[in-house]
Amino acid sequence: MADGPAPATDSLERLLLDKDLLVAVGPGGVGKTTISAAMALQAARMGRNTLVLTIDPARRLAQALGLDGLDDAVQEVSVQALTDAGVDVRGKLYAAMLDTGTSFDTLMARIAPNPQVERSILDNRVYRAMAGTLAQSHAYVAMERLYEVMGDERFDLVILDTPPTRNALDILDAPGALTSFLEENVVKWFVRPRTGLAGRLWSTGSFATTRLLSAVMGPELVAEMTSFFESFYELREGFSERADRARAYLRHPRTAFVMVSSADPANLGDAKNLADGIRGRGVEIEATVFNRCYEPFGDDRLAVITEVDPCPADEVVDTLWPTAKERGRVKQLVEGLARVQARTAAINARAQRSMAAFQLPGRAARVLVARLDHDIRDLQGLAELSPWLCPDR
Amino acid sequence: MHDVPPHRLLDRRLLLFTGKGGVGKSTVVAGLAVEAARRGRQPLVVELGHRASMRGIFEAEDVGYEPTDVGRGVFACNLEFQRTLVDYMVEHVRVPRVAQTILANEALARFFRAAPAVGEVATLNKISSLVAERSRGAPRWDPVLVDLDATGHALMLLNLPRVMDGLVGNGPMRRLMDGFSALLTDPARTVLNLVTLPSELPAQETVELWGRLRVEHEVPVGALFVNQVPSLPIDDELFELLGPLRDRAEAALAGDGDAARMGAEVVAGVELTRRLLLKRERAQAQIDRLRTDVPLPLVQIDQLATGYLDLEHIARLGRRAVQDLEALSG
Repeated sequence: MADGPAPATDSLERLLLDKDLLVAVGPGGVGKTTISAAMALQAARMGRNTLVLTIDPARRLAQALGLDGLDDAVQEVSVQALTDAGVDVRGKLYAAMLDTGTSFDTLMARIAPNPQVERSILDNRVYRAMAGTLAQSHAYVAMERLYEVMGDERFDLVILDTPPTRNALDILDAPGALTSFLEENVVKWFVRPRTGLAGRLWSTGSFATTRLLSAVMGPELVAEMTSFFESFYELREGFSERADRARAYLRHPRTAFVMVSSADPANLGDAKNLADGIRGRGVEIEATVFNRCYEPFGDDRLAVITEVDPCPADEVVDTLWPTAKERGRVKQLVEGLARVQARTAAINARAQRSMAAFQLPGRAARVLVARLDHDIRDLQGLAELSPWLCPDR
Repeated sequence: MHDVPPHRLLDRRLLLFTGKGGVGKSTVVAGLAVEAARRGRQPLVVELGHRASMRGIFEAEDVGYEPTDVGRGVFACNLEFQRTLVDYMVEHVRVPRVAQTILANEALARFFRAAPAVGEVATLNKISSLVAERSRGAPRWDPVLVDLDATGHALMLLNLPRVMDGLVGNGPMRRLMDGFSALLTDPARTVLNLVTLPSELPAQETVELWGRLRVEHEVPVGALFVNQVPSLPIDDELFELLGPLRDRAEAALAGDGDAARMGAEVVAGVELTRRLLLKRERAQAQIDRLRTDVPLPLVQIDQLATGYLDLEHIARLGRRAVQDLEALSG
């Protein structure tokens, strides 16, 4: 990452131009993956070579990004594909999937100091049973991947889409947590030191704990975990070092956290909790994207219409269709249209009130993205979000 | 997997709910709880750990670890990890005070937080206790509704007895796991319900989840709730007039002030309505797909007419959902 202070930011555009890493956080189901991909495309349009690390994109969007779902390798989105989509891109766009399924095994392979250690872990029944469910493992895998791509010269900007962990704060806690998990004064209760006196001391010191853990987990499981930890222990230095690096990237001045939410009060509630938690860990959110937050209607798609003032239906019919044979039905339709517009305006108004109530400390940029007519499943769709992401361009 | 008659959903002791993040599970759970209370039952909504939806929905002061009265005859609780662990240890470790003291140890607390399965064991333990709790000779909570969070984590929880199977011997741990299994697979007591939205990703995930449940699990599955189904406040039979009306409105745009203004308004109205109609069609296509691929009783929950949900709407939504379920069985 480049050294030096971060310039002031007051728009998403500035973040896309100036930062080295954007981390997209937010509650589930708000379109975080789509927005991450759209931001990446936008940055590439503005001349930056950008990588988006996605989690679980919809199949068609994945295909559009050149990802076949078979592995987690980085793919460059072809210039031809971009041209075909009518998108003019000055920088390069790359994409990769963060495959949280097999990645923990890959991670073990990368970190293990030798094949024996790797084998003993991968074969361990506790590991096999828990690998996918190891608390915070998804977030940890994301951090490992991040560590890898931040060192890659090809990318000016990396956009990290965060995984749907049970607790969204895992993304900040993961490096530290796994290290804690392996922390000297806990794991050492399990790990048998190799030699004499230390070995005897170990037995005494950990006995109470092992009994406690046996009561919690059962003696057989404790025996398996002991064996698991003995192998894992060898890896702790690697984990620790990588954890420190990942933490450093997340807290770097040239990194920005972007919150993605909808305008739904339930999602905003979760977003608020998340923002507080992130702030509590010493990191500021620098932009909030309210996705699919209003229904556009009228001429200006960027305008959020919250009130309508329809003319009385009788007048409308008399003016526009005085000769209507079925005047009654036409009038009903006109009234219906007015109801649809009024309802849509009311929903927009409510959304705007909810969004106004969601205020973050600091100078976080606020971006409102409309509900489009269709699901976004290709490059063209991503490009359509441009006017909302960077309205000043 | 057993066939669970849909109309008797509320008769179960334990209702579990899962679905992709953001589909509105909490709303459905809250609605069903309010309806259960309205019918004279004593529902308890259980949320896991870090989620705080019930507090917002019921506008309650705080929802704690102990069941809290949130109004409308509904109680709610929030199972924060540390306390479920303490409860578990106090229940199953011979010397409770020792357990408490050791748990107060920071390093150990962090260890347990990161350790696999411990959280799930403690959570299942607490849920079992709540289901078993009695008051004045009858179950205290009736039913217990658990908002299980997103699909992946729900499966982790449901998977737990099987995952532990190879790893526990024949002692107290085995008995505990067997107890969990028995509860989770008993169609008389437990039912798992799915919640989804009528759009591509959630529907796809629901179909995949159904596939896994059928093959991997013996948890009885109840109903599929489809949330936020679009509806339009216009009679379908009027839509054939949209085109002709728009033509006349467009013709007026060239004319004088008032006529042009009305014309523009109607054109905008028609365009908005057509877009919403398309969305409704797409949603219906997803619902049709779900009916085909997921053979569960399907309950549609309409999108709101006027903005976001308040408690009144949630109560109505719950009442309508239960009525629809009862109608399905008849």
